[in-house]
Amino acid sequence: MALPQPLRTSVSPQELELIASEQLVEILPLITMEKTAFISGAYGPLRPPAKCRIPLWMAVNLKVKKKCHIIPPDWLNVEFLQERLSRETSYPEFSQMPFRFAEIAKAILDAAPDDVQNAEKVRSLLKDLREARQAKSREGLAKLDHSELSLPNLCSMEINELRPFFIHAMGVLTQLSREEQNGAAEEP
Amino acid sequence: MVYLAPPQLASAARPSYGEAYSNVLARHRRSPLTSASSVILLVAPDVDALCAARMLAELLSQDDVMHRIIPVSGIAELEAMKDELATYNELHTLILINMGAILDLPSPTWFGEFSTELTVHVVDSNRPQNLGSLFGGGDIGDRIVVWDDGEAENMEEERRAWEALEAQPDSDEESVSSSEDEVPFQSQDVVSESSRKRKVPIDNGHSKTKRQKVNPNQMSRDERLHHQSVVDKHYARGSWYSQSASATIYILATILERADRDLLWLAILGLTYQYISSRISRDAYDKFHSIYYDEVTRLNPLPPGTKSTADAITALSPDDLSIRATEEFRFTLFRHWTLYDAMFHSSYVAGKLGIWKERGRKRLTGLLAKMGFSIPQTQQLYTHMDLDLKHQLRVKLDAIAPEYGLVELTYPSFIRCFGYRAPPLSAADAVEATSALLDIAGGVRIEVEVEGARHGGEWFGGGRVWKTRRDDSAKAMPSDNDVTQGGREEDGLVAEERTEVPWWMRNFWAAYDALTDIHSLRDALSLSMSLHRAIIRQGTTIIDKQDIRTMRSHRVVVLSQGPDLALFAHPGVLSRLAHWLIDALRDKLPGTKFTQGKKSLPFVLACLNESTSTYIVVGVMGALEFGDVRKNEFGLAFINAKDRCNARSSHNSFNTSVLEIDREDLKMFLEALCEVGEGY
Repeated sequence: MALPQPLRTSVSPQELELIASEQLVEILPLITMEKTAFISGAYGPLRPPAKCRIPLWMAVNLKVKKKCHIIPPDWLNVEFLQERLSRETSYPEFSQMPFRFAEIAKAILDAAPDDVQNAEKVRSLLKDLREARQAKSREGLAKLDHSELSLPNLCSMEINELRPFFIHAMGVLTQLSREEQNGAAEEP
Repeated sequence: MVYLAPPQLASAARPSYGEAYSNVLARHRRSPLTSASSVILLVAPDVDALCAARMLAELLSQDDVMHRIIPVSGIAELEAMKDELATYNELHTLILINMGAILDLPSPTWFGEFSTELTVHVVDSNRPQNLGSLFGGGDIGDRIVVWDDGEAENMEEERRAWEALEAQPDSDEESVSSSEDEVPFQSQDVVSESSRKRKVPIDNGHSKTKRQKVNPNQMSRDERLHHQSVVDKHYARGSWYSQSASATIYILATILERADRDLLWLAILGLTYQYISSRISRDAYDKFHSIYYDEVTRLNPLPPGTKSTADAITALSPDDLSIRATEEFRFTLFRHWTLYDAMFHSSYVAGKLGIWKERGRKRLTGLLAKMGFSIPQTQQLYTHMDLDLKHQLRVKLDAIAPEYGLVELTYPSFIRCFGYRAPPLSAADAVEATSALLDIAGGVRIEVEVEGARHGGEWFGGGRVWKTRRDDSAKAMPSDNDVTQGGREEDGLVAEERTEVPWWMRNFWAAYDALTDIHSLRDALSLSMSLHRAIIRQGTTIIDKQDIRTMRSHRVVVLSQGPDLALFAHPGVLSRLAHWLIDALRDKLPGTKFTQGKKSLPFVLACLNESTSTYIVVGVMGALEFGDVRKNEFGLAFINAKDRCNARSSHNSFNTSVLEIDREDLKMFLEALCEVGEGY
């Protein structure tokens, strides 16, 4: 992003959303379109009422112009998220979630809330999930040491959140541990 | 030329709205010079046009067509705009919304000289339409497309008459007069020209018969007179309104199968505006209402199990943006005021109870007391009223109001929920807020009441000068001390911006934005309330002082002093005052025949604009029954009177019954107007 150097600590969420929008999603087109070549690949043909897989960016664009209906991915519904949330709150490890679930969920809920069943419940479940995982990553950061930080099943937005902190923190810890080693080497 | 029949009359050979629209799209995609100026919408400043423009803009942006919206306030503006448009060479579609029906568009004064690439679409609810635009053919005429609602089907006689007249311009005077079928700048001289035309054949009667012997293909004089009278009758009936522009665009959206809730809501607003401002009768309103009712049930399926109490409409969920049908009371803005205020400020109730006298006000409190509302309850804002009272309101009103002569208190309308962001807003309230923004959002200082200012509340004595909601909402905070000082500072800042953009254009954009932004719309409700208060103040003063002068065929009121004079110098506000007076005095005054046709209540209001030293004159025809409308004959009458007395005047809006006249000429003009009534 075109931010000045001092502000460029990490990737911004909008950039992450852009990267995530490359993923394919299923739609129900309302218009016909031939197989068209885009920079990232050729998509289509769109023949209503047959479903088609196109990138998320294109799906959102068509949806805004009321030319398609987005079919939410199979993890974006109340039952799946409810089950993951209960797993999240009962076990200390992070539960398995699609890597870019936060960005994809946001894009779909913003553009097509009417295509998602029970959209408010989904939103509130996503919020609960985020808070649960946030609590866990805070605890997990305490285990930070100079060489590694292992937090399995962390997702793209969460990694991005932590990145500036643990890069800097790891640097400091490495310095500290090196001085310790030097100190220990010099002692005897 | 092409008048588009509405879709129900369309067939393969007769194009309709859908085809016209797809032509616009095809042009846009085909043309190599496509830019943002290829499709231009010229929009008149009224709520219906605003809604139609918004709907059309939405449809166009869904189809990725770049377009521009330009507000135009009057014929003069349109002339200037036309000259500017002649210089755009990438322009290929021009859409006129709620303007231009009366203008002879194929003529050289208007769009006759433009390139053959240009198509002009006219989506207008004003009637009568110019016959040249409707039926004119040929190369130039084909480029004018009038989106009609089916009435042109019934104009066969006018069509034949017009075509006959156009085909046979024989004598020099007659050819001159028939080519003057155009509407020149500065006056809608159609009828004065045609009245001149009518005199001509009579004078040249004998020369015509001579020529007749020479040319046997000539029409007989009788035929010509007959055709002439048909054409004149078409124009001389007065002006009225037909299918709203937003309804036309909604029909287009339905054909394209892209109708959705937002478009439906805007169409409902257009229709409600026409009804509330007495442009259409109750029957016409009901007809369209039933269409929209079906659409609402189609597009807004209520989840099963919700008990729909029409009085207690709340949003079902945070994303609930649905539209529901309700029975709306005739009290203006009654959900935002106290019940007493709402009844006090509605013109229907005011007329029946005689609100301007103390006796009338007592009757009002008596009515409320009979219904079981205690006085503190009626002085509460509606939102704070007891729930059970709210539910019983309709039942009680139906039971008790007929005793006071208030029979038609409700009419079916719609209400829209906005999720959890704002309370639901009814169509009538939205229309009131938007038209208040259009009329007076900027350009005049008006104080709005701050909640809690009454009865010794915490902001007692403090009003706040209304400012259009801006991004820095700090400016919109109420200043309880020293309103004037704050106002002066603001004015200093704002005055610089104001010189660049005319006030009506800023109002237009403020209203345009407010159509979709619920928070600005709700803010504008307080503006609308102040406007109503001012209208009541002025109206009661007029009635109390018995300022209404009765002429032989109409009534005149001249406003030359008063606290709200600057406010009433706007034609929109002045027309509202006129309608209020008509509603209030409907039962007390006998109807008169103005020039022709049925009995009605013609009212002429003139208000002094001190800054320009002119009078704004507005002519309104009220019908004798509530819910009915009359064709407005003042347009022609004004022109005739103006010609007779050679007053200096100008028409500044698209409404032919609004006139701006020099201060000194007013008396002469009013006298000439009386003569018009007699001897037409």
